[in-house]
Amino acid sequence: MRRFFYTISITGFFVISFNSRLIAQSPNSILNAVYNKMMKAKDYTVQLNIKVDLPFIKMMPVEAKVYFKQKDKFKVESKNIAIIPRQSFDQLTKMLSDTNAFTAVKSGFENIGTTQMAIISVIPSSDTGELILSKLWIDTKLNVVMKSQLTTKSNGTILTEYTYGSQIAYGLPDKMIFTVDVKKFKMPKSVSADINNTKKADTTKEKKKGKIYIKLYNYQVNKGIDNAIFKKK
Amino acid sequence: MFWKSTYNEFIKIAAKPRSYIGLGAVTLLVGIILFAMKLDGLTYISFITASFEQSLSFEGNILNGNAMAFIILQMLIIHIPLLVALVTGDLVSGEAAMGTIRLLLTKPISRTQILLSKYVAGCAYTFIIILWMCFLALGVSKLIFGNGDLMVLNSEGLVILQQGDILWRFIAGFSLAFLSLVTIATLSLTFSCFSENSIGPIVSTMSVIILFTIIGTLDVAVFDPIRPFLFTTHTAAWRSFFERPLPINSIINSIVVLLVHIAVLLFIALYKFNRKDILS
Repeated sequence: MRRFFYTISITGFFVISFNSRLIAQSPNSILNAVYNKMMKAKDYTVQLNIKVDLPFIKMMPVEAKVYFKQKDKFKVESKNIAIIPRQSFDQLTKMLSDTNAFTAVKSGFENIGTTQMAIISVIPSSDTGELILSKLWIDTKLNVVMKSQLTTKSNGTILTEYTYGSQIAYGLPDKMIFTVDVKKFKMPKSVSADINNTKKADTTKEKKKGKIYIKLYNYQVNKGIDNAIFKKK
Repeated sequence: MFWKSTYNEFIKIAAKPRSYIGLGAVTLLVGIILFAMKLDGLTYISFITASFEQSLSFEGNILNGNAMAFIILQMLIIHIPLLVALVTGDLVSGEAAMGTIRLLLTKPISRTQILLSKYVAGCAYTFIIILWMCFLALGVSKLIFGNGDLMVLNSEGLVILQQGDILWRFIAGFSLAFLSLVTIATLSLTFSCFSENSIGPIVSTMSVIILFTIIGTLDVAVFDPIRPFLFTTHTAAWRSFFERPLPINSIINSIVVLLVHIAVLLFIALYKFNRKDILS
């Protein structure tokens, strides 16, 4: 009996101390920890495999290469036509770089798999920017963003899920899945010039969301990147 | 005798200044399109991507030779029929107007063979026009704009084809475009058999094309039953080769409709030419 109470007390202690650590951490300190981890990668290059599954776009998976250098130098290079979401690689670092530019609010906790995530809502102080609201699901043990939901004025909402692997020490993901709002996509009929097409558009099957899957591999972190690469067209 | 007659007919086409109007016009039009695209092509392309670019970023060489070839084919295939009819509409009626048809029919060759040799020569001319357009659209465009993936906008969305998967589509597309131009050449040759002057068949051919195109594009239910049987509905069928998945049935249907038009029109032309009064 004594042993049972002892076990319960120890377990209770750890549960309470873990949750109290989550509760104790302010949203800004959680975001700072994530940002500091991201900042460990001063620069990086990475190969991408992009698979697009959007209702209005038919294309084969393509390869591309991304160059990134702190603070905001970013370039995508591809022999093929590659499609990537606008709010993709540098948006989080840009957003978190200035802690005075936003108000962070802790919105609760949610489990992703078996891990408990802290949900932080980030509201920009300025109402003139493109970003209206962002919601981040953060693993406070690893200090990485596992899921983000960015709501912008013109782009709608983009939900991103991150999977980490070899570069977790830098907060760099191995896989990203973007869920894109495609309601706003409209076909410019005048340009399509498909004047003899008699097929009627099937509006009943219209999907409102699409996904873009990006696998990231062959990271080269902190190896130095010449600034000239970002100037080349 | 047939091939000798065909050769003679081709020489006649080559000797007429109007035959070079088509080649000159294609060269000028393609030149203007390439010049304009080189200066401000990205603005044109942005019309296609504008609705997507709010959320998505397009990377890579979008404005490339393949895109140019597609734009050129799309723009010119509407106007090339006039250039073809200008020559093929004159094949029989021109001879009647000049009075040389009597001399022509004294040759030891049947009227059917004479008309078919004119038809083959007309088709060869059409082939040269489309080949020249293909060279300018694909060859010269790639020299100026380089190679790359092709982004095609159709009524169902964007199709992006990788550069290794494009050349056969262009060959097939130009071939189908050739077939639709041959249909127009056959139509003008048929009108030519009914006429004693060159203007009539050319204007009649263009009138039929305009009329059928209007019927085809008017989204009115009353035209629905006849629309699939108009040859103008299938002149843009070359675009089907740039879809994914390939609409095989639709392509076969277009080929069949065009071939049936060619066969029927050629039969009417042969019937009329064999009974044509050359004495009056």
